Formats: sequence, C-alpha cells, structure tokens
Amino acid sequence: MIKFHPNEEHLFHYVTGDLSPAMLMMVGTHVDMCPHCQTQVRDMENTVANKLFGQEQAPKELFAANDSFNGDAMLQQIMSQTPARDESRITGLLADELVLEGKRFKLPATLARSQHRIGEWHKLIGQMWRAPVQIGGEDVLTFIYMDKGTRVPEHTHKGREATLVVNGVFNDETAEYRDGDFVFLDGSVKHTPETRDEDCLTLAALDAPMQFTSGLSRLLNPFSSLFFK
Amino acid sequence: MQTVTATQLKRKPMTSSAQPDDPDHAAALLALVATEQSRQAFSELFSYFAPRLKAYATRQFGNEQTAMDLVQETMTNVWNKAHLFKPDRGSASTWIFTIARNIRFDFLRKNKHRQHDLSADELWPVLAEQNDSLDDDYALDDDLLMQQLAGYCELLPKAQRIVIELIYVEGKSQQEVADALGIPLGTVKSRTRLALQKLRELIHSDD
Ligand SMILES: [Zn+2]
Repeated sequence: MIKFHPNEEHLFHYVTGDLSPAMLMMVGTHVDMCPHCQTQVRDMENTVANKLFGQEQAPKELFAANDSFNGDAMLQQIMSQTPARDESRITGLLADELVLEGKRFKLPATLARSQHRIGEWHKLIGQMWRAPVQIGGEDVLTFIYMDKGTRVPEHTHKGREATLVVNGVFNDETAEYRDGDFVFLDGSVKHTPETRDEDCLTLAALDAPMQFTSGLSRLLNPFSSLFFK
Repeated sequence: MQTVTATQLKRKPMTSSAQPDDPDHAAALLALVATEQSRQAFSELFSYFAPRLKAYATRQFGNEQTAMDLVQETMTNVWNKAHLFKPDRGSASTWIFTIARNIRFDFLRKNKHRQHDLSADELWPVLAEQNDSLDDDYALDDDLLMQQLAGYCELLPKAQRIVIELIYVEGKSQQEVADALGIPLGTVKSRTRLALQKLRELIHSDD
C-alpha cells in the first residue's frame, strides 16, 4: 500500500505538462505504480478538458482567438490525407527489466519507455550505486541503488529533492518508504536515509547538489557532485 | 433488426442536434472517423474543437503561427489516429486535450535542439499503437467491434434500438427521428442517451 503521494499541485502540473522533465518522470513513474493517483490524474484530465472545450467557454475569447482563423483550408488539407495505420509502430512488449549486480528489477512503464536514457552504473560509497537518466533539462534525474544495511550520510539539499522507491524499502528519521512511495523534500530538511534488511532501488530528482552536514561526512562535500551529475 | 455494419454507417449526413460536447456524441463521431474516415463526422469535430484548441494554444504560446501549428497538428492526429481513442479511458474531449498537451510539450522543446530531450510520448503514450499494459486487450479490430456493436444493439429495448438505428445507421437527425416517430424531441434525446449508456456498459461487461 503506497503511503506517500505527490501533492495535488505536482499531479496537476503533470497533467498539464508544466513540471521539469525530471519531475515529470518522477510523478509519471509514481502514477504508473499508484492506482489512487491514476484516478486523480484521469479526473484532472477530464476537468482540464472540460474547461478548455466546454460549451460555456466565453464566446468573446473564442471570437478573439479566431478572427483570422481560416478553418476551412486547414480542414480540407487535413482531410486530403489518407489515414494510414503505421503497423510498424506497433511494438511488442517493452524491455522493462533493469539488471544490476545480478539482481533484476521490473521497471514501471514510464521508465521502461525511457530505458535507453539510463546511463552506466557507478559505485558511489559503500554499497551505493547510481546511474543517471539523461532527459535534458536543468535538473537531474538519477537512479540510486542501496544494498541492504547501507546508510547515506546526513545531508541537506540547497534545492529540492524528490525520491521515489522503485523497489525495496528505506527509512529515514521520520518514516519507512516502500515501493511507489514518493518523498518530496525542500532545502530545509536534513535527513539520513538508510536501508536495513532489504536493498532499495530509488529514483531521485535533484535540483542542486547535496550538502553533507555531519562530522566526517562533510569531507564528502567535494564529492557531492557525484550524486548530482 | 438489420445488422449494423461499418458500410451501413455512412450515407446520409449525420446532422443530429447533439453537440460534440456531448461525450457520447463526440465518441460516436470519432468512431465514424476511425471506421470509415467519415468527413462529415470529422468536419463536425473540427468545427467544434479547432477554435477551442486555437484559444488554448494562443494562451499558451502568445504566437499566432505556433498556435495554428498546434491546432493543425492536433486535428491531424484526430483524423489519422481516431482508432486509438478508447472510450473506456475517458471522453473524446479529454483524449483531444491530451494530444494537444503532448504537442505543446514537444513544441516547447523543439527549438532548443538539445540532445537527450525527453519527448512527450515517452511521458504520456497517448498515441502509441500498442497496448501499454497487458491487461488492456480492448484494442479490438474495427470490424470485430462493429459486429459486436450490432450484436449489442439487439439487446437494447426496442424503443431505444429504433432510435439508434435511425440516427446512426440511417443518419437521421434527432429532430427527424422525433418527427418520423411522432414523439417529442426530448424523448429521442433521452432514449439515445440511455441506449449509448447501455451499449457502453455491454462493451465493458465483456472485458
Ligand atoms: Zn499516488
């Protein structure tokens, strides 16, 4: 049972396409995994569509937008095409598995469609690995894999961090997060994620490098760019 | 009742008084575009949706030419890909909105020519020819769908079946049906609505 969801604003802007590419991927992947948010998304799509295309749209605005709209020419041009079904685009099943360290993970549909964007895995520290997902845009999307019994040194973010559990479980000071859980933190929150008896594959979106805040791990700050890019 | 086949569903212009903002009517128009490239049905969809799309696109881009491009590309997809509309997933206007949303997303990135840029159909596979999940085997062959629909029509109460037949097979307007049967227009409308609702339930119960 998923306990942590993107907030309503994230979902709405996922529907309208007004989030950064990294956040769109994060929210889209959560929606793949979460029947509750799938319903929300459909409702929001309907609401937006009704607002845009409802009969009650102010006629004034419609006329203003269509002063010089030569609809007929466009209509004829479109209908002069013969709809052809592009059977070649009917693809079979997507390759939807990620293999790491001999373990296999099933990817939700959004990630499976973007599998060609997943870069090489690099070992970070201890039993942590990361692989970038190259999607363009300013912010960064990355897989982070933690083997069981792994702790990320306490850190904050200058910007915001969103984390989604793709498979497994991790804990921080406040809660336990499992498959599908979506955690959104702003720069003010310090946290120390760790795994215990299970490993954990997460997807993270960061819009600024991590800052390690405690004791010796501050020495890691020069390497924080490893997490970031 | 005679069998409703794709070939019978054309002929007379469909000039029913329903507007494309009636979800059932819009879905029926899309089905006609999908099965037989009905120009009549598409024109009706176009005259309703194109100006509204233009208003949306103008707000988004503030640029006349780009707005027109979005309208054209969206409506071209409606013409070419009507068979991908799945009534069980949402209304026709929702489907058209998601197509426009995707095109806008790609337009906003197109001019930047950056490597690796995410494309809208990776995020929202609105127009993917495949089923994106295995439990969705709704993508029936059109002929099969039409045969099935004809079978379902047999299951409608006689009064509703006659109305559906006159409107969707013979292409009469709702007013013409009312005149022909000597019943009030409101009754024709409610029978049509009930019948389409029933058909939808029958289709879904077969999943
Ligand atoms: Zn959710």
